[in-house]
Amino acid sequence: MNGELLVFAAASAVAIVSALAMLFQKTPVKSVLSLVVTFFALAVLSVLLAAPFVAALQVIVYAGAILVLFLFVIMLLNLTQEAAERETRVVHRFLSAVSVLALGGILVGVTWRSGAPPVPVSASLNAIPATGVDGEIPMLGRLLFTDYLLPFEALSVLLLLAVVGALLLSKRRFE
Amino acid sequence: MNPATMSAAAAAGVSVMSVAPSAYLVVGTILFAIGLAGALLKRNALSIFLSIELMMNAVNLLFLTYARMRGDAAGQMVVFFVIAIAAAEAAIGLAIFVALFRARQTVDVDKINFLKW
Amino acid sequence: MDPLLFDAIAAIAKILFVWAVVLAALLPNLVLLERRGAALIQDRPGPNRVGPFGLFQALADVVKMFMKEDMVPIYADRLLYNLAPLIMMIPALTTFAVIPFGSQIPLTIGGVTHTIPLIIADVNVGILYVFALTSLGVYGIVLAGWSSNDKFSLMGGIRSSAQIISYELAMGIAATGVFLAAGSLRLPAVVEYQQTHLWNCIPQLLGCIIFVVSAFAETNRLPFDLAEAEAELVAGFHTEYSAFKFGMFFMGEYANLVAASALIVTLYFGGWSLPGLALTGLWGGIASIGIFAVKTFCFIWLFIWVRWTLPRFRYDQLMALGWKAFLPLSLLNLLWTGWLVLAGGGKF
Repeated sequence: MNGELLVFAAASAVAIVSALAMLFQKTPVKSVLSLVVTFFALAVLSVLLAAPFVAALQVIVYAGAILVLFLFVIMLLNLTQEAAERETRVVHRFLSAVSVLALGGILVGVTWRSGAPPVPVSASLNAIPATGVDGEIPMLGRLLFTDYLLPFEALSVLLLLAVVGALLLSKRRFE
Repeated sequence: MNPATMSAAAAAGVSVMSVAPSAYLVVGTILFAIGLAGALLKRNALSIFLSIELMMNAVNLLFLTYARMRGDAAGQMVVFFVIAIAAAEAAIGLAIFVALFRARQTVDVDKINFLKW
Repeated sequence: MDPLLFDAIAAIAKILFVWAVVLAALLPNLVLLERRGAALIQDRPGPNRVGPFGLFQALADVVKMFMKEDMVPIYADRLLYNLAPLIMMIPALTTFAVIPFGSQIPLTIGGVTHTIPLIIADVNVGILYVFALTSLGVYGIVLAGWSSNDKFSLMGGIRSSAQIISYELAMGIAATGVFLAAGSLRLPAVVEYQQTHLWNCIPQLLGCIIFVVSAFAETNRLPFDLAEAEAELVAGFHTEYSAFKFGMFFMGEYANLVAASALIVTLYFGGWSLPGLALTGLWGGIASIGIFAVKTFCFIWLFIWVRWTLPRFRYDQLMALGWKAFLPLSLLNLLWTGWLVLAGGGKF
């Protein structure tokens, strides 16, 4: 029982329990908060997977910005008694539960039996350095500005579009 | 991971994982299934959107696991882009929900059936 | 001694040291310092009854916090209401884990010299850890406003969180200039960089100003404290809180203040180092802690000084400043810093 196994077990347990909590919560605000806990646990798992940069990014962007936006919208629309939280028709619920369990079971079975991992990408330019005080961050920066430059620039245009679109969509029309 | 692949990985310069990668994959898949259940079973449009975000994050975990298994940083690049795109998508999606709420005073997806014949 | 065990004990000792200095000694006395500072600026005595020169005022304040009646509003969401002060306070305290507060302390045990670096956790993502915690601290405020079931609290909570996430952006981009110059996201690397080059406040003056002003906005201090504006919003998001929970919000705000000052000192004013001074060995380590403390204290005083000097920003002015002025200026600073790095020979 080493440290990595302990942290992995704790983080996965927290992630799965709070994801289930998100499913069964009665108010949207509590669902969002359960999801924040899930994302935090996922960030811990990302650190275990030698990706501390992505972990920090997940907390900053996902848990710290996107979910805050969700919270704002929920508070703005004041959705406490608005929509029923859960599907009421029994047939629909039954079919959904069966299909999710079936799909989940198949996927888990396939990944559990996935055997030996693929051959490591050894001497390629993309290799994550195993040592080094800065971790994989210089490598990621290099990749972002060389191999992935076009997606990076396209992403900036996408974000601009998102800002403009969100502003336009939420404008009040004065009749 | 059996000893052969472990030594191959160590020789390639990738440090060894002591927790089996398939454990991470299983956790990611379970989270994906939970998100899918939420997307199917909820009626509040915002809750459905939250479940979709959970699904995307579960897939991020899978990408990171594969990146670690192969020692390939491209997986982390994909996750970077997925997170940024999710941010843009959340902004637009929530703006749509706000506009919808202003038009119909509800975000219950069963009541949003205007295009029905 | 087993090196892992030694590292663990050293880490616990450092955590206890930081907690003892910040939580026990600094935060309660900051209340006194603020009130005496206010009195100095406003030309009146200030609290001077409790103990010589009012030095035991901290004790009186803590006793008051514990003894007051703890009221909970009737329709408040119990769980969130009780959780919100914690969610605000914990990120403020945890930020200290990555800030280097000294150079190193070498200890000789049984003939083997162990060097303890004076930073609790040298994570390789450094500053991103701090930004992540700041993002999580927003939840404390917005949940406090929401769960109090009170219009003033809700308005204060929403305003404050919108302000924080807006200025986080300008702060982050301004800080990026520092890390561009230092070539690493780690805070000890930034301090080392400033030991051999000029302090970052000189070549990146614009970034420094933006960062310091954004720090005011992040910690909800005047001139950016519209979320707690007494004249308009009673007390903003902590209107409905009393006794110990209010005390936690109060102390959380001061903890944020100290963390922000420590961060400003580390990023722009040389951290624990002085130019031309090699702080090695045991006495060097102790001296570096002292230097860091003095510099941080100067910035704490700056926060207090500005609070009692400047009037408050109106909310739309505040948001306009954050988005329309600071964001373009911080990008300009990044451009300028990039040009400086390139002109200096580049590092990558």
